[in-house]
Amino acid sequence: MSRTTDDLIASLTVDLKPVSAGMVARRIALGLGGGAVVSTVLMLAWLGARPDLAQALATPMFWMKFAYAALAALALAVALGRLSRPGARLGVLTAVAAAPFVVMALMAVARLAMAAPDARMHLVMGASANVCPWRIYIIGLPLLAGAVWAVRGLAPTRLTLAGLVAGGCAGALSALIYGFHCDETAAPFVAIWYTLGMGAVAALGGLAGSRWLRWR
Amino acid sequence: MDQIEHRLRGLMLAGLAGEAGPYRQLLDELARLLRAYYARRAPPGLDAEDLVQETLIAVHTRRATYDAGQPFTAWAYAIARYKLIDALRRARLHLRSPIEAADDLFVPPGAEAAMASRDLDRALAALPARTQALIRDTRIAGLSTREAAARAGISEGAAKVAIHRGLKALGEQYGGSDVADD
Repeated sequence: MSRTTDDLIASLTVDLKPVSAGMVARRIALGLGGGAVVSTVLMLAWLGARPDLAQALATPMFWMKFAYAALAALALAVALGRLSRPGARLGVLTAVAAAPFVVMALMAVARLAMAAPDARMHLVMGASANVCPWRIYIIGLPLLAGAVWAVRGLAPTRLTLAGLVAGGCAGALSALIYGFHCDETAAPFVAIWYTLGMGAVAALGGLAGSRWLRWR
Repeated sequence: MDQIEHRLRGLMLAGLAGEAGPYRQLLDELARLLRAYYARRAPPGLDAEDLVQETLIAVHTRRATYDAGQPFTAWAYAIARYKLIDALRRARLHLRSPIEAADDLFVPPGAEAAMASRDLDRALAALPARTQALIRDTRIAGLSTREAAARAGISEGAAKVAIHRGLKALGEQYGGSDVADD
């Protein structure tokens, strides 16, 4: 009955190599990093950096956008590493990953509450609400491809959730990159339209996760 | 459970460090546990031993995803469960029957037995004619070995040997295969 299984075990154990502990993190960093390079080139070729980038780097609102996307991406990347390991639980990481979104939403509400009523519409819609989520979605696709490549080479066992988090992480990095083009500065705008773009990439990842992330 | 966890985790950590001995012991032990797990869980039609081997390969090729800070048993169980679900999913994909095979459902009474005997004919066809007759006489018609030997015109001893060899050949052909299907 088990003769061939014994042979298999023997073949798996000859020439056994040590395995380094950081492999999961390295692979995810490689996938997201490769995707980020492609996405950045795509953004620069398609939209270009904002002309006033040098001045913008001195404003807090630029860094508010940057910090929102960067912290969300970082927390989701850590969660993605966790979801690439069989049997690992997200635990407190769920709350950590949600924190940037909650803080951003609170900032948006506070900003709207402080604003004069007739200024609120502009704080929400800015000048580019109709294109912002779509651009973040498109720029996020190479990042999602990189994340999918990384994760399916590991061992995800909850494929839809892993796809959702992979997409969320790709979307957050895409928003980070898009922030170098977009000159919107209002917290309500960022909280709504940036988040919607991230959510679109996350939704794609979640819907396709059970197919794209399946491994044998 | 704690003891198993402690021991298997120790073997796994040694394996990750490149020690083949403990690693081999780990895979042997996992094979035994997986065999029992899949024997209980895998529905008929799924080869449990195939699943055991697929899971061992997954454990090996994806062993870098084991985090030393996490329980080893939870890691291995998640892979075993994933492999079972994956196999069930693929089996379901293969289950699509051709629509013209209405005969599969609307079987006339008594046809099951006829089909079984047809299958038996096919199985026996590979054996020598005299062995076929001996097996039919003794195993189906219910004759004694001596009566069957007399009908075949050979000694009882020769009949016993022929029946034994014939059944053994059938067994090798149809039962107890240890060769994977695909």
